[in-house]
Amino acid sequence: MNFKCELVRSACDAAYGYSDKIVQAAGNLITVDHTIQIANTEGLFTSDRHVRSRMAVNAIASNGTETQSGSCSPGRGMGLEVFEMFTPDYIGNEAARQAIVNLGASYCPAGQMPVAIESGFGGVIFHEACGHSLEATSVGTGCSQMCGKLGQKIANEKVTAIDDGTIAGAWGSVNIDDEGNPTQRNVLIENGILKSYMIDRLGSRRMGMPMTGNSRRESYRYEPTSRMTNTFIDNGPDKNEDIIASMEYGLYARSMGGGSVNPLTGAFNFSVNEGYIVRNGKICEAVRGAALIGTGSEILQDIDMVGQNLATGQGMCGSSSGSVPTDVGQPLIRVSKITVGGR
Amino acid sequence: MNFELLKDTLVSALSQKGIDEYEIYYTSDSDNSVGTLNKEVNTFSSSESGGLCLRLVRDGKMGYASTELMTEGEMRELVERAEQNALATEKPNTVGIYGGGEAYEENRIPEFIPVSTATLRAAAIKSGERLFAKSEKVQLGTESQAVSSGFDIRIVNSHGLDLVCSCGINALVGSAVVMDNGEMQADYALKEFSEDNLDGVIDALATEAVDDALAKIGAGLVPSGKYNIVISGKQMRSLLSVFSSAFSAKAVIDGMSPLVGKIGEAVASDIVTITDDPQREGSSIGLTFDAEGVPTHRREVVASGVLNTFLHNRETAKQMGTKTTANASKASYSSPIGVRPHSFCIEAGDKTREELLGLAGDGIYVTEIKGLHAGANPITGDFSLESAGFMIRGGRLCEAVKSFTVAGNFFELLKSISALGNVIERGVQTGFTAFGSPDALVPDLSVAGK
Repeated sequence: MNFKCELVRSACDAAYGYSDKIVQAAGNLITVDHTIQIANTEGLFTSDRHVRSRMAVNAIASNGTETQSGSCSPGRGMGLEVFEMFTPDYIGNEAARQAIVNLGASYCPAGQMPVAIESGFGGVIFHEACGHSLEATSVGTGCSQMCGKLGQKIANEKVTAIDDGTIAGAWGSVNIDDEGNPTQRNVLIENGILKSYMIDRLGSRRMGMPMTGNSRRESYRYEPTSRMTNTFIDNGPDKNEDIIASMEYGLYARSMGGGSVNPLTGAFNFSVNEGYIVRNGKICEAVRGAALIGTGSEILQDIDMVGQNLATGQGMCGSSSGSVPTDVGQPLIRVSKITVGGR
Repeated sequence: MNFELLKDTLVSALSQKGIDEYEIYYTSDSDNSVGTLNKEVNTFSSSESGGLCLRLVRDGKMGYASTELMTEGEMRELVERAEQNALATEKPNTVGIYGGGEAYEENRIPEFIPVSTATLRAAAIKSGERLFAKSEKVQLGTESQAVSSGFDIRIVNSHGLDLVCSCGINALVGSAVVMDNGEMQADYALKEFSEDNLDGVIDALATEAVDDALAKIGAGLVPSGKYNIVISGKQMRSLLSVFSSAFSAKAVIDGMSPLVGKIGEAVASDIVTITDDPQREGSSIGLTFDAEGVPTHRREVVASGVLNTFLHNRETAKQMGTKTTANASKASYSSPIGVRPHSFCIEAGDKTREELLGLAGDGIYVTEIKGLHAGANPITGDFSLESAGFMIRGGRLCEAVKSFTVAGNFFELLKSISALGNVIERGVQTGFTAFGSPDALVPDLSVAGK
C-alpha cells in the first residue's frame, strides 16, 4: 500500500514540477486481481486470472483567468512492473504538458476538413465508429450498419483492422473469454474487406456463425455478450511525415478523448484532448474544444493514409455487460474529410 | 443475513482494538428485469446485491473497508482492513463520524411497491407488441425492458445514529427501430410505472419512442454558423448533469470548478433558479439523510441567477468554513464519501414550447445530444457535442436535421439563457441522483455542420 501511494505521489510531484502554472494534480492507481471460474452444462469447467494495473494523472493548469486540464492514464494487463515501462515521472509530465498546451490554445474552428489522428488512443475512432457495429450484440439482432456485409469492401484498401485478445500483457487481453472460450486473433477488416464479426455464444446461435472468443462481462452480475478486447488498425504503407506534409489545411489530433456511437446508423462522436491546426504541411498552433463527428461507413472509406507507428491506448468500454478493459490502437492516420465541431 | 449479529461482531472487534469512532453503512439492492427483442422475451435477470462498508477513525485518520460477504469472520477481517487503510492514509481526518442531534424531515416519498415478475414479463411483452403496433415501419431490433429495482440503506454509527431508508422504482424502456425509404433510425423512451397505470404508460412509451424515431427519418444537414438554439428539457438536463460537478464544493476546493469564488455573484441569467430538492414532488427515490447520516433539505443553489451555495459534505464544509448541505454521497456502498446533488433541477419558466419557438424565430430545436462523457469538460465548462433536432423557421418546427455539433461553454450558456419553458423534464433517478430542466432558449450558439 505504501509503495503504491509513493508511485502516485511521485507522478503528481512530477506534474507540479513541470510548470508553476500547474495548480492541481490528481492521481489514482488501480490494481485489479480478478479470478473467474466457469462451469456449464456442456461439461466445461475452467478458470482464469486477470491482473491489471493502471495509473491516471489529471493535471490542471491555470494562468489566473483560465483553467485547462490534461491527463495521462496508461495501463497494462500486468502487475506494478508496468510502472517501470511508464514511470510515474512520465505520466505526471505528460498530463502537465497537455494541460499547459491547452492553456495557450484558442478554440478550434468549426467545419469540414482533413484530420490526421495520432497513434495510440486515436484508435478510439475505430473502436467507436466501427468496432461496436461489428459486435454480435448489434449484428445478430439486425441493429448494425454492418449486417450482411461480410466479404464486401467497407473501408479504404489501406485499412486492416484486428481484434486480438491474446497479446501478452495487453490491457484488454484475457486467456479465455467469459464463456470459457480461448481468445483469438480476429482479423476484422483486411485491406478494406470485411472478414469477421466479434461473436459470443448467443450471437453465434443467432447468426449461425462460430464464436470468436469475444464474450465478456464486467462481473458475475452481468450477462456476458460480444465485446472487443484489443482492437486496432494495423500499420499501413504511408510514412508519418508524408501524412502531415500532405495536408494544406486541417487538424492534427495528437490526443483523443472518448466518444460514443449509435450502432444502428453508425453515427459517432469523439472529443479531441489535444489538437493543432496544420497549414501547408506543417503543424502550427494548438486548438482546444474540438469534437469529430461522422458515420462509421463514411470514415472507413475516408481513411486515405495509414502510417507505421502502431501504438495502443487504454480504455474502459461500457456496454450492456458492464465496463470492461479494452485497448484501442492505430498508427498515425489521415481522414480526408470529417466534420470538426468547434466554434 | 442477520444485520444485528454482524453489527454486534463488528462492535466487539472494534472495541477490542480500542476504536470508538466508526460508522457501518449497509446497502441491499434488489433488481428484477425482463426484456424483449422483436416481441419475444430474450432477457430475464434477477439479482440481489449490496454490501457493507465500515469507516473508522484510528489515530485521527479515517479508514474504509467494505465487503459483500456477510459472515462474522469477514466482519473481524473488515475491522483489520479498515484499520490498515486508516494507517496508510496520510491526511488526518478533521470531521470524524457524524454526531447527530439534528431533526429529520418527514419522508414524503411514496412507499415502493415492487411489481411481480409476472407483471414485469407481461409489461415487457405488451410494450414490445405496442411498439410494433404503432407503425408498420417498426423493424426487427425493436426492444422493450421492464425493470423493478429496490434499494435499502442503513447507517449505524458510534454516536448512536441508526437510520433506515427503503425506496425503489418500477420503470419501462421502449426502444424502437424504424425504417422508411431505406433509412433506419431508432429512438427510445423511458417511463416509471406502477401496477395501476401500466396500460397508459405502455401506450405513452410506445408512442414517444416510435414517433421520435420516425421524426428523424430524412434528416438533412445544417450549414455551419451561429444559431438561436432551443435546447429541449431532456437535453438541457443532461448538460446540467454533466456540469453539476462544478457546483460540488469538492471540485471547488480542488480547483476543478469554474465557479470558484463566485458565491453571491450572478452565474446565470436572472430567470434561472437551480434547486436541489431531495424529496421533490413526483420523485420515487429520495432520502431524508445523506451518506453521512445528515438530514437533507431543499436548497436553492442558484436563485434568480445568483449562486447561493456550493454542495457540501461535512469535510468540504469544514474546509470552507460553512455548514454541510447534506450532499454527502457514495456511488456504491464501497465508495469513499463524495459530493452529489439529490434532485438537481433548473426550475420552470413561463413560456410554452410554441412561445419559445416563436422567440427563437429562426434557429434549431435540439432534441438529441450525444457523447456527453467525452465532449463536455466539467472543469472548464467547454462542450462540443454531436446533436440532432429540427430547424425552426419563422417560429415553427420544420425539417429534421442531424450530424452537427453544438459548441459553447455551459457557464456562459447559463448566463445567456433568454427564456425557459414552463414544463420540467425530470429524468429517472440513477442511483440517488436525478436531474431536471425545462426547454431553454439560448441565442447565438456555434454549430458545425456541412
